[in-house]
Amino acid sequence: MATFRRLAPIALCGLALPVFAHHSFAMFDYEHRITLTGTVTKFEWTNPHAYIELDVADANGGAKHYSIECASPNVLTRIGWKFNDLKTGDKVTLLVNPLKNGKLGGMLEKATFSDGRTLADGNPPGGRFDQ
Amino acid sequence: MKTIALLSALSFAATLPLPAQTRPNLNGAWAVYRAGRGAATDPKLAAPAAGPLLLKPPYADAYKKRQAAEREAEQRGEPLGNRGTLCIPYGMPQMMSAIYPLEILQTPGQVTIITEAFSEVRRIYLDEPQAKMGEVAPGYYGHSVGHWDGETLAVDTIGIKEEVLGFRSMPHSDQVRITERFHLVAPEVLHDQVTVEDPVTLEKPWTFTFAYRRTPNYHLLEYVCENNREYLDDNGVTRLKLQDH
Repeated sequence: MATFRRLAPIALCGLALPVFAHHSFAMFDYEHRITLTGTVTKFEWTNPHAYIELDVADANGGAKHYSIECASPNVLTRIGWKFNDLKTGDKVTLLVNPLKNGKLGGMLEKATFSDGRTLADGNPPGGRFDQ
Repeated sequence: MKTIALLSALSFAATLPLPAQTRPNLNGAWAVYRAGRGAATDPKLAAPAAGPLLLKPPYADAYKKRQAAEREAEQRGEPLGNRGTLCIPYGMPQMMSAIYPLEILQTPGQVTIITEAFSEVRRIYLDEPQAKMGEVAPGYYGHSVGHWDGETLAVDTIGIKEEVLGFRSMPHSDQVRITERFHLVAPEVLHDQVTVEDPVTLEKPWTFTFAYRRTPNYHLLEYVCENNREYLDDNGVTRLKLQDH
């Protein structure tokens, strides 16, 4: 999470690091990361979480669809995200902690936009935080 | 004679409430004051550790069992959910843990606390008598009255719904009473010392403290839990609803 640490402090001045207790993050695999490059079919700037819906081309000329959970808009705003950072049709590369059950979804760790900008997800490393 | 009059005037003055203009100003946005995280924090100003939670036997057994089940499910990667997972607001006193910032508004006769998470609102009526236990319709925030005890805002809350999970999921009955003491421990650091009393579930009152840091230029964001994709399956396990496209 070195990237997160580099990115976070600017927006977080004077605020505690964001935490979220809406649900446990144990359904995601923090031991493994996958990199997904694809096309955004929808960016939902909603609570309790933002979601990136992503089509990723497969080797057979088809596409696999992934649902990627992000932190909440509140947490994302505090680390520099904007509601319009992603739009339908945008190309994006996502570093993701996949679902442990093998389904096509995961938790965002970092997004790299087509212009090269990167933004971390605001949830704490490993999804763990002090209560 | 003069001395006696002066002394008696002084002793009378000491019993008078502080004039309103000398009350601490708690107005504005606050975020959790977390030692060792974010900006530098002074451990002396951080919240002291919570006291021991001593539940009566049947509640203690159920509590331990639930905690063990939660730990086991967590390790399995199939976490159990709770009301928060279902987008149900926290209520008192969990809302005061301020996972996102909160805002305090002081107006004549009232202190209002608004949290960013779930946009929860509690209203504390100053210098009004508390209702009788059992006469308040049970709710998430109950009925709160408060008064200034010197520079400390003392608040008394009753009427919390039994379904509302307590701090650290403490179980409580309809007779729960929450008292709070809000006090500035430094100009920019506020403590809320909370004591929970419950003659049904607790062996003795439980005291814990929340600490907050003033965040002067922060504007609270809205929070409407409209798109909850987490759901609980038949075993109470948290699952993520995926979109098929």
